[in-house]
Amino acid sequence: MTERSGGCLCGAVRFTAEVGEEFTACHCDMCRRWGGGPGMGIHGHAVHFEGAENIARYRSSDWAERGFCRICGSSLFYKMFEDEKYELILGALDDQEGLVMTRQIYIDQKPGHYEFANKTSTLTGAEVWALYAAPDRE
Amino acid sequence: MKMTGQCLCGAVRFTAEDVPHEIGACHCGQCRRWASGPYFAVRAGRVSFEGEDNLGRYRSSDWAERGFCKQCGSNLFYRMIEEDRYMMAVGSFDDQSGFELARQVFIDQKPGFYAFAQETKTSTGDDFFARYAPAKGGR
Repeated sequence: MTERSGGCLCGAVRFTAEVGEEFTACHCDMCRRWGGGPGMGIHGHAVHFEGAENIARYRSSDWAERGFCRICGSSLFYKMFEDEKYELILGALDDQEGLVMTRQIYIDQKPGHYEFANKTSTLTGAEVWALYAAPDRE
Repeated sequence: MKMTGQCLCGAVRFTAEDVPHEIGACHCGQCRRWASGPYFAVRAGRVSFEGEDNLGRYRSSDWAERGFCKQCGSNLFYRMIEEDRYMMAVGSFDDQSGFELARQVFIDQKPGFYAFAQETKTSTGDDFFARYAPAKGGR
């Protein structure tokens, strides 16, 4: 884990976070509609924001919210409410050296017009649910 | 082809005319910072919006602005101001079938940790500026 910094396009929101090297690409309908393409996210711990008043949070489901800069519209993170960690949007990191795509999720929702050449583990939406859903969610 | 689309929350809906099948992916640092990954866009003709009060426009450079929903943060378009040309985000369209990845731009800014399996035409940042902003050097 290393501490890396990042922020939105206009600079109104900046952050630091502890991140590893592995990241996930999400092909779900919601991420693609929200983020202009498949989302690339990395777990971020101990996330500290500057300009937090410029972060808008959209509650996209019962279990998660999506953060973005209210000034420039940059996608910043996906965060599950019951988790302390953020899924930070990779492109927001200032330094992206040494990162590796190890997983793709919602592979069943991926449209046919693109695919990654990367070799990774893949999970369908149902498999993601089985992995993360608490018994009372179903 | 006339196509409709919307942001994640539905506060902004749009109708775009003359939408081709061919789409492009932009790998530039700006797009990857603004969107959730490489930005998939399609060049549209005339675009009309519903819920325009919810549409945020950020002037990201001298020649372009980026549109997003102020309620949910969906990245909706990259618009070339002088041409009044909308490059609509592919993921916002209601109908996702029928698109084909035909080109990748700013390929020189693509990080090594991902690549598309599709073989497409590619062009660099210099190619972009030579075509669209010959007098300008920056972004």
